[in-house]
Amino acid sequence: MSLLNSLVPGWGIVKGMALTLRRFFEPKATVMYPEMPPDVATKFRGRLQLLYDEYGALKCETCFQCAQACPIECIDMGGMDTKGRFHVHWGPPETYGERREESAMRRSGRTVPDQAYEHFAAFDLTTIDEILDGYDHDPKHMLQILEATQAAFGYLPVAAIKRISERTGAWYAIVYGTATFYSHLRFEPSTAAGGPVGVAARRPTDDGYVAALGASLAGGPAMSTKPARKARVQ
Amino acid sequence: VLAVALGSTRPNAGGSLDVTTLTRTWDQLTLPGKALAILLPLGAVLTLGLVLVIALFGQTILDILIFNLPIVRFVFAATVLLLLAPPIAFVIIYMEMKIIALMNLRIGPDRVGPWGSLLSTVHGLKVLMKEDFTPTRADAVVFTWAPVVVFATMALSALVIPFAPGLFAQDFNLGLLYFFAIGGMTVVGLLMGGWASFNKYSLLGGLRSAAQIVSYEIPLTLSVVGLVILAGTMSLNQIVQQQGTSGWFTDWYAFRQPLGFLIFAIAATAEANRTPFDLTEADSEIVAGFATEYSGMRFGFFFFAEYIGVFIISALTTVLFLGGWNAPFPVPHVSWIIDPGELGLGLLLLVLIAPVVGTLLLAAPFYLFRSKTRWWVALILGFVLFNVLVGGLFGLWAYINFDWVAGLLWFLGKTFGLVFVFVWMRGTLPRVRIDQLMGFAWKWLLPASLLNLFVTAAAILVLDGMGRPGA
Repeated sequence: MSLLNSLVPGWGIVKGMALTLRRFFEPKATVMYPEMPPDVATKFRGRLQLLYDEYGALKCETCFQCAQACPIECIDMGGMDTKGRFHVHWGPPETYGERREESAMRRSGRTVPDQAYEHFAAFDLTTIDEILDGYDHDPKHMLQILEATQAAFGYLPVAAIKRISERTGAWYAIVYGTATFYSHLRFEPSTAAGGPVGVAARRPTDDGYVAALGASLAGGPAMSTKPARKARVQ
Repeated sequence: VLAVALGSTRPNAGGSLDVTTLTRTWDQLTLPGKALAILLPLGAVLTLGLVLVIALFGQTILDILIFNLPIVRFVFAATVLLLLAPPIAFVIIYMEMKIIALMNLRIGPDRVGPWGSLLSTVHGLKVLMKEDFTPTRADAVVFTWAPVVVFATMALSALVIPFAPGLFAQDFNLGLLYFFAIGGMTVVGLLMGGWASFNKYSLLGGLRSAAQIVSYEIPLTLSVVGLVILAGTMSLNQIVQQQGTSGWFTDWYAFRQPLGFLIFAIAATAEANRTPFDLTEADSEIVAGFATEYSGMRFGFFFFAEYIGVFIISALTTVLFLGGWNAPFPVPHVSWIIDPGELGLGLLLLVLIAPVVGTLLLAAPFYLFRSKTRWWVALILGFVLFNVLVGGLFGLWAYINFDWVAGLLWFLGKTFGLVFVFVWMRGTLPRVRIDQLMGFAWKWLLPASLLNLFVTAAAILVLDGMGRPGA
């Protein structure tokens, strides 16, 4: 072939023409997308990944949609919402801490503590069950149920919300959404200062955000802010 | 306005005092009604006038027409060619889109019409709807006439091409010369467009395409001179007839003038502005060269002219080197004459019964052997199949009985085969540089065509000297 290449002028043209003629008869690569959807498994959900913004803050808004959609309930989450107010959890509370540790151990060989998670104390369910009985376990009375719960406990404990979800059949995300919609419902015991100190302590300080923002605007690398350890006095 | 026209009885908003009976009736007409109301009286008047003119001056007009038969023939043929040019361009544009797509492992146009075959027509309509723009300070007259010149020269050069036995506009004894002369006029149109655009880049593009086309006209013409010496005529009709003497494809001039054929093919590619020599309007690099300032249908005419040029160059190659309308092998002559009058009552029965029986017979297999097919679907399938069958039989009958049908089929087959090769080359080859283009024309093609000419002439001299007639 190399002999032909060097001896016959225009042999490259002949080869190229032969190639395109072969392509002419080959099966085509076009995907007729809207008419013919791609053939993927029904369980396929693409790649699940938690993303961070350039300042190191988690982009997750804890909307629980992923956890709701998860067919085998393998997603657990715990953390603050985007405004740094609430400490929320999804998933069986007695398992997800261990599961997180387990997977972290598997990857790095050492335990990675969950900054956002604090195990709540054992909880007496009889009070909440009485409230639920009073409202006939009807999720249509969710606001009244939640108000009664807050009147009983002073705030809305995570375990109470999980119990309400379990007994009324309403999704946790819906109960949680109802609770966050009304400003008089709280997820933390109200303190004298009026702010959720325990959560605010773990939140990145405003100074850290401003510093990172200034650095990135000045052309420097966006540094990742670590949550400040000191408690804020309000 | 249209809503009012479509049968609305809303009174005229312009004031009821001015509304006469006539306008109110006009407003109440629907759109088709308005069209008919205009067309019917107009048609009646025109028909009456035509009948009168024919009755009074018919013989005189006929005498004048017969006396000027060549002019009538020319006008008729030119009209037919100009009317046929857009459909041919549409077919070739569709071929280009589809074939290059298939070579790129794509599907290509598949939305408009069967297999997307109407897409180029839709493109033509789209071009019609675009704004027709003339730049400020452009030479408006020349600017407007440039696409006309290009398109007209392309279409008029087809006048001498014999499509089939007896199916040609003019049988010049200088046909080839006419072709190159008219074809060379294209350059004038391109330069007009480039010059009148009032844009430096358009002018440069026009000059560049003029340089390219003029350079390649020389090897193009010289490569044919050998063939003309061999044929002893420049009439394209006679050249085609000479290639069909024995009926086999070995008579074709491509086999007696292989070098000439090669040079002609390369130069024709450059002449038609096709890849790899499409520097005139290299789509991917420059903004359409001389046509930069053109928009709308005026650009459309340049575009059409390019594809008409592809068709005409392919047709000329077919005529000169590939035997024109001649079949590549001798087709056994079968005489199959049907005289409908002989059948008598049988004809009536045939016309009445054959479609029904044929449809039923062809529908039966679909209905019987596939239980999912409903009876009416089977009937439709049978009817379509019957039509295809009868159409095929009719075509076969026409092919056997009429020389020009057979000739036209072979001619169009070869021509569109060459068009396919042009598109194929566009799908394969990269564009050459301008210096490569010019160098190739002057350093290689010109000497090669001269060599071809001298060798042919010498061979004819020697063979004549040995006592054999030419070739």
